[in-house]
Amino acid sequence: MFYRLSGTHHTRYAQTRQLWPIPADRWQIGLLLALALAAPFYMSELYLSSYMLPWLVFSAATLALTLLMGLAGQLHFGFAAVMAIGAYTSIHATRAGVPFELALLLAGLVAALIGCLFGAAALRVKGLYLVMATLAMQFLVDWVIVNVNVISGGAVATLQTPQVSFLLIPIDTLQARYYLALLWTVIVSVLILNIKRTSYGRALVAVRDKDFAAAVIGVNIFRYKLQAFFTSSFLGGVSGAVLAFCFYQAVTPSQFNFDVTIQLVAMALVGGLGSVVGGYLGAGFVLLAPIVLLNLIARLVEAGWLNVSTSLMAHIPLMLYGAMIIGFLLFEPLGLAKIYDNARKYLLVWPFRHTQS
Amino acid sequence: MKQTRRSLIRKTLLAAALASAGLAASGIAQAQARDALQFATLLDFTRVYTFLTNEYSQGQQDYIKLVNAEGGIDGHPVRLIIKDHASYPERGIAQYNEAKAAGALFFDFLSTPVANALMPRANEDRLPMIAFAHGRADAADGQAFPYVFPSAAIYRSQAALHLQYIDQHEGGLKGKKIAFVHIDSPFGKEPIELLNKVAQTKNFEVKLFPYPVPGTEQAATWSEVRRYRPDKVIIWGAGPGQGVSIRGALGNGIPAKDIHSVVWLSESDMQSFKGNEVVGVKRVTLVGTGTDSPILKRINQKVIDAGNGTGDKAKIGTTYYNIGVASMAMTVEAAKLGLKKLGAPLTGEKLKQGYEMLKDYDAEGLMPKLTFTTQDHQGGGWGRISEWDGKQWAPKSDWFNAYQDVVWDLIKEDQAKAQKK
Repeated sequence: MFYRLSGTHHTRYAQTRQLWPIPADRWQIGLLLALALAAPFYMSELYLSSYMLPWLVFSAATLALTLLMGLAGQLHFGFAAVMAIGAYTSIHATRAGVPFELALLLAGLVAALIGCLFGAAALRVKGLYLVMATLAMQFLVDWVIVNVNVISGGAVATLQTPQVSFLLIPIDTLQARYYLALLWTVIVSVLILNIKRTSYGRALVAVRDKDFAAAVIGVNIFRYKLQAFFTSSFLGGVSGAVLAFCFYQAVTPSQFNFDVTIQLVAMALVGGLGSVVGGYLGAGFVLLAPIVLLNLIARLVEAGWLNVSTSLMAHIPLMLYGAMIIGFLLFEPLGLAKIYDNARKYLLVWPFRHTQS
Repeated sequence: MKQTRRSLIRKTLLAAALASAGLAASGIAQAQARDALQFATLLDFTRVYTFLTNEYSQGQQDYIKLVNAEGGIDGHPVRLIIKDHASYPERGIAQYNEAKAAGALFFDFLSTPVANALMPRANEDRLPMIAFAHGRADAADGQAFPYVFPSAAIYRSQAALHLQYIDQHEGGLKGKKIAFVHIDSPFGKEPIELLNKVAQTKNFEVKLFPYPVPGTEQAATWSEVRRYRPDKVIIWGAGPGQGVSIRGALGNGIPAKDIHSVVWLSESDMQSFKGNEVVGVKRVTLVGTGTDSPILKRINQKVIDAGNGTGDKAKIGTTYYNIGVASMAMTVEAAKLGLKKLGAPLTGEKLKQGYEMLKDYDAEGLMPKLTFTTQDHQGGGWGRISEWDGKQWAPKSDWFNAYQDVVWDLIKEDQAKAQKK
């Protein structure tokens, strides 16, 4: 009823194979996009800068990671390092006078090249061993950034982003930074949605499900594994640069340390591997749930309903957050995206009970 | 019957509503008389800086309770906004924005990554922040970072204090072999340039021994230190790594009296050692310890004895507790000066100027006399060397500062480098 499937007849292949064949889905996407575009007009600066903006950029990063982990099935525990490479490349390039647009591309390319270098390990090892190989990337990149003064900026160790403009629009206001982040996130989303329905995406899925079986049916595993690392690292690198320029406006090594990698993996897993909606939901959950819980507890304490020490007050949200992750994964092991999917499928044929797919 | 009951309920509700409205109105009236000043202490209670945050925040809260019990700042009560950012910069930024929107005038993050991420923002928003002895070194320069106050000897100044102490009280620096054993992070590496510069003029030898983050594993490093046979060892780490360092030194035949440490070495770190094996370890002290100073006595009297204490009584007077007290004492004094000289209402700018009016301020003897200027936000780089006597950190020297010319040369060099890029 909500989706009104009756009366929707596709008469061409192009129609039925479009991204969202059901009009109700298109309406929803359009509404969300309109809401996102209008956000600076109805959202306070606080929410825009501290919640929306990081959520969008981290969603883009999660999508880049989910392309690799969810579609191609290559575990990566060094993705913060990929973003760090992008961030540092872009900042050094813009400081050297390279236009920002080119610097973003350069950030992606350098991250992709170095990412491929470590991704080459994936040609030999799988699963947990690949986790170790990519973990090594995280620590090596961290070490190099901290210890090579030319990159990190020496003992001072904070590089501020210079003033830049993107396609002649100066990126100096919050609104400009927000729209740039939104643009990038939309590009990544559309790209990954489309990758999923190309031969390239199907080859990645084949590699994920069983790589030697994929080889038997004629998929060049060598090529596709490396391409997966290349694409994902490219997107990750640009996301790192966008994160640095739009959100932090400065770069320090600690912004891209191992904890951020774990956060990104958590975003991809909690959201649902390989899903675009999941990328958004996962990033939102991991990034915003602790903040929301913290504010909630702080408000309870302030109102005098909860009498605990400051330290316990800080720890309660962590307990709740942990319980929530366990709860969600018990309830639906395939992540938040699957919960969304279940709800959608239920509503697709409501008030009847059976779904088609 | 039913009718009357309903009307009764209606009357009670009405009365309750009126009463609450009245309460709210009276609350507003009070607030209008003297608005609360809001200071945001957004700290890391849960992840990296847990080794000091509890005691530090306890000291801050107790001191603010004392200020409020004594009538506030010129009649304005002080309200602390306390939140946990777990050292995640993105969460720190969100909380900073939130506190800013709520009207906070002053910020404390006590976490290098968060402080570094927010320094440019604080400058832009004209809101002062304290970065007590942490954060980037060049923030000591008030010209470059007008709204950031390290407010205590930065790491380079602390290393300088050790060098001067060795030079004057432990047989001179000339010809000495000094091992600098440090955590391999920007914090651990900060003093290296100063050590090298002073080594050239004073003719002693410095060798660097980095150990990996987070510092819980240092065995390989210390066996190398043993081979080097140093005369003195300076250890530069924080939290659990410090205990590991001392254990490593003792296990490799370095006597406790030759170990010198950065400020982050607390009473509880030392009490984890048995007997007298760590008696003689030396440490930089930036804020006096113990409960003898007038401020601590008043806290005990008016806050703790009144039953309003924030946490464990045993922690009162410890190193980190007193640092918390000192950080707030400086800020409250700056707010007082700002209000007195520049008039109400207090703004971030006035608070910043109040900070720069602090002259020879020693929090009633709790800390060295610090003087801030528009140029110097470090307060002169004062501190003293204390020695662990088995129970507490006993002062071994008066308050002093050392090699400030070298420290400032390095700050200027850093800035030149940053600008060139």
